[in-house]
Amino acid sequence: MSAVSKDAPAVVAHRVRRRVFREQLLAYGLVAPLLLWLGASLLYPLAEALVLSVQDVGIIGTRGHFVGLANYARILGDAGFWLSLVRSVVWIVGNAVVQTVLALATALLLAEEFPGVHVARVWVIVTWIVPTIVVVIIWRWLLSTSGGMINPLLMQLGLISRPIGFFSSGPMSMTALILINSWRWFPFVAIMFLSGLQNIPLDVYEAAAVDGAGGLQRLTRITWPLLAPTVFVLTIIGTLLSFNVFDVVWLLTGGGPSDATTTLPVLIYRTAFKAYRLSEAATMSVVATVLLMGFALLAIRQLAPKSQGA
Amino acid sequence: MLRRSLLTTALALTATGGLTGGARAAAPVTITLWHMEQPPHRVQRVQELLDAFNKANPDIVARQEPQSWGDVYAKAPAAIAAGNAPDILFAIPDFTTVIKQLGTLAPVQDLVAELDAKHKFIPAAVKPYSYDGGVWAVPLYNMALSLWYRKSVLQAAGVAAPQTWSQWQAAAKALTKGGVYGMGLPANKQLYTDQTVYAVMTNAGASELFNADGSVCFDNPESVAAFKFYKDLYQYTAPDAASWTWGEAEACFDSESCAMVLQFTVIKSYDQQGGKPDDLGVIAVPHADSRTASNTIAYSNAAMILAKDPAKQAAARKLITFLLEPENYGRFLNMEPGLFLPVTQDGAKSASFWGDPLTAKYRPQVETMIANSQFGMLFGFTGEKVFPSIGAISAQNILAETLQKVVVDGQSPEAAVKAGQARMQDAARK
Amino acid sequence: MHRTRLGNLVVGGGLALLAVIVLLPFWWVISSSVKLPREILSRTPTMVPHSFTLQHFQKLLGSSDFPHYLLNSVTVSLVSMAITVLLSVLAGYAFFRMRFAGQQMLYRAILLAYAFPGIVVLVPLYGMMSAVGLIDTRTALVVVNVTFAAPFAVWMMRAFLTSFPREIEEAARVDGAGPMRILWQIIVPLIAPGIASVAVFALVASWTEYLFASVLIQSDARRTIPVGLAGIIGQYQIDWGLMLAGATLTILPVVVVFAFIGRYFVAGLAEGAVK
Repeated sequence: MSAVSKDAPAVVAHRVRRRVFREQLLAYGLVAPLLLWLGASLLYPLAEALVLSVQDVGIIGTRGHFVGLANYARILGDAGFWLSLVRSVVWIVGNAVVQTVLALATALLLAEEFPGVHVARVWVIVTWIVPTIVVVIIWRWLLSTSGGMINPLLMQLGLISRPIGFFSSGPMSMTALILINSWRWFPFVAIMFLSGLQNIPLDVYEAAAVDGAGGLQRLTRITWPLLAPTVFVLTIIGTLLSFNVFDVVWLLTGGGPSDATTTLPVLIYRTAFKAYRLSEAATMSVVATVLLMGFALLAIRQLAPKSQGA
Repeated sequence: MLRRSLLTTALALTATGGLTGGARAAAPVTITLWHMEQPPHRVQRVQELLDAFNKANPDIVARQEPQSWGDVYAKAPAAIAAGNAPDILFAIPDFTTVIKQLGTLAPVQDLVAELDAKHKFIPAAVKPYSYDGGVWAVPLYNMALSLWYRKSVLQAAGVAAPQTWSQWQAAAKALTKGGVYGMGLPANKQLYTDQTVYAVMTNAGASELFNADGSVCFDNPESVAAFKFYKDLYQYTAPDAASWTWGEAEACFDSESCAMVLQFTVIKSYDQQGGKPDDLGVIAVPHADSRTASNTIAYSNAAMILAKDPAKQAAARKLITFLLEPENYGRFLNMEPGLFLPVTQDGAKSASFWGDPLTAKYRPQVETMIANSQFGMLFGFTGEKVFPSIGAISAQNILAETLQKVVVDGQSPEAAVKAGQARMQDAARK
Repeated sequence: MHRTRLGNLVVGGGLALLAVIVLLPFWWVISSSVKLPREILSRTPTMVPHSFTLQHFQKLLGSSDFPHYLLNSVTVSLVSMAITVLLSVLAGYAFFRMRFAGQQMLYRAILLAYAFPGIVVLVPLYGMMSAVGLIDTRTALVVVNVTFAAPFAVWMMRAFLTSFPREIEEAARVDGAGPMRILWQIIVPLIAPGIASVAVFALVASWTEYLFASVLIQSDARRTIPVGLAGIIGQYQIDWGLMLAGATLTILPVVVVFAFIGRYFVAGLAEGAVK
């Protein structure tokens, strides 16, 4: 409200309306740079991809002709595409499960008080701050049989009798990749869970203790239900982010062995740049975008509730 | 900024078809070279040679931009499409077919003929680039797969260096003990596995992928025999071989975890590990029992000229000529001593080649490598005609993919080869 | 709340396991980067180095273009970070402290950008950059980095920008301050931890970006670390020592930065998560 004014109410109202209008303009002005930036770098390329998807362009830079929905028909009828989609789902679910379990365990640990806990809470996230290429180098080195530490360690612990090839079979490869990607992300998620845990008031626990609830019961009856919403939100975000993971898979297995880890992003990249079928890759991209958008729209209801404010 | 305006100038020149080339004769002509030899010591050696070239040719400024093989299949076509192409692009034969399809490649048979008269090319090096009535790149250096081993290790196991498949298998079996793998073979869906698979195929008599009319003839008894043998030999390899690239195989050999490997070279890393030159053995890839002589896979690496502007084309030709001069050529090849082999006869005799300490130290081995390379061939480039689909077949590693079906998925060689044939036919469709 | 002896054991054991999982791989790589080649490539890997050499680092810093890559990564990351922070603070202010038509819809649209598979955008973006002459420029990388960091940044800002009451702004308004002054002089200091978190997030995301950097940058002088490192390692031959040294030196800068502002980031991340 404006300062005390001696003017007639109509003038005051007019001034207020003008200020509100100016503020609205300002708001648009503040949001515009971001929107323009995203529009130019996301919407325009998506439109281009749509155009490509109805042509038959092969190698990038060559001309294509309009072919209508032929690419879509071929892609949607191609077993390879659906298999890749299934692998992406396996990837997403695997990551979600492993990361959630590891992150929860870590968060519970870090919620305890012990000497050095504050340092631990900050530095546990070190696996996330290093670039993916380093993660790839680390694990490619550690899992190899010529100098890598993991096989000798496992043998010394008596868990295996001969060295294993972690990327030698399909299921093993996918598992290894999921574990590696989870290793990278779980501390990040753990921190978020940790704050969720810390927001649960202590009196709730104390009341339960008075009622004779043991550690396990406190976990399942109190901690989990109160933490569940946070877990849910983070799982959705994590799903969207992990679908897009390309470099870890590509740099470690190239989608192999025998296509076992060819998730959708890998398939798209390969189709565009190795099979030189750009339009097909664009078609797959459009389908992938539509699927993800659909999922995101449903999920966004949770992330951006109708009510404004804290 | 300066680089960008130079680029804009280059574009303008290109766009006007070099009409203003004459007017620009006063300023030095800049040419850019893209090559895929990224390891720092190789980049350094190339720079030394470029500096010498630039000094000898004050009207030309030649620059290098090292790229990675992983990126360049995507990047080069994109750059050409956008007008950002380099003037010289190094290539292997299948990569050339991809670039040629974009319609920007200048035939260089006249240059090759000229250089041949001076230095005498090894025919096997020029063949993969001669088709469609022209020669599309100038061969520069060769790489060929051989079988590497330690003489002392074989002696201790009581086996001689194998020359036939049955000897090979027996040796691998005898050498697999005490945590050592008798024969390190890869099964990754990657170029290295394509190469080892083909090295075995060509020693079974299955060198051809295409018939004269361009139809795929991958599915034949010799191919099946080759995959069956590879599978039999694969049981003696390391457990993680399905994720091997060249580096891992070499590491296996260097750490003495593998008794034998198929490699272009292991000389440098072997030496670094402290191996003794006398103990390093190398022999041609063993051939099937029914055959009498060995073949191998050989990669003739060459230089393509992409420049359109006449002045830049001339400069590019000058640079290539400079590199092949015997006194420079040896130094060029020795950017990676013990790996790159000469494609010219006088290169194989040049003092600059044998002058490198490592090459001299392992002279017997390098001589064997050169001898082996004479019988080198490359899949898709063995006939009179080259079919463009080889680019996609190579880029998608269909040979390796077929192998994985056999050793990873457990399919029969017959079924896998049949599927491989279908995949190649699919890659060939347009 | 007291812990039982068993509880202590569980926590202690859990922490030990956590430390091993998180830190041991780094130890192996960093300690191996100073080993002689023959100790790196050995059938019996060593936990503690038996040899010591700086040759890999010398090669990395002396003969390779790694120093350039480092400089480029730093530049691109810092600029991307600055722009991301700026755009997300401005947009966040509008979304969460103001009212305007279409607010909900626009906010959701921005969140939707999360869901974009980067790969869709790769080829058309290359074409776009080429048309405006931005191929092989660090500017192109900044454009891409901001695009992919900004949506998450705006989301993170929400928690901070909604954590204080309207009265603070209204008091300032009474004193005659306009919205922009309120933003810079009052709100920004209030949400400083949030800004730090967004900054670190954008920094880390830019530092690690590989896919677009590999296609958009052509010349060695402008390469960033992820692509440059992948290239140095080699194709036909892997120089393992060089690779390990490169990995070590890539970890170092972010660890140093994190040592200073890590706790703000973690605090901000934590706060952002619950609201």
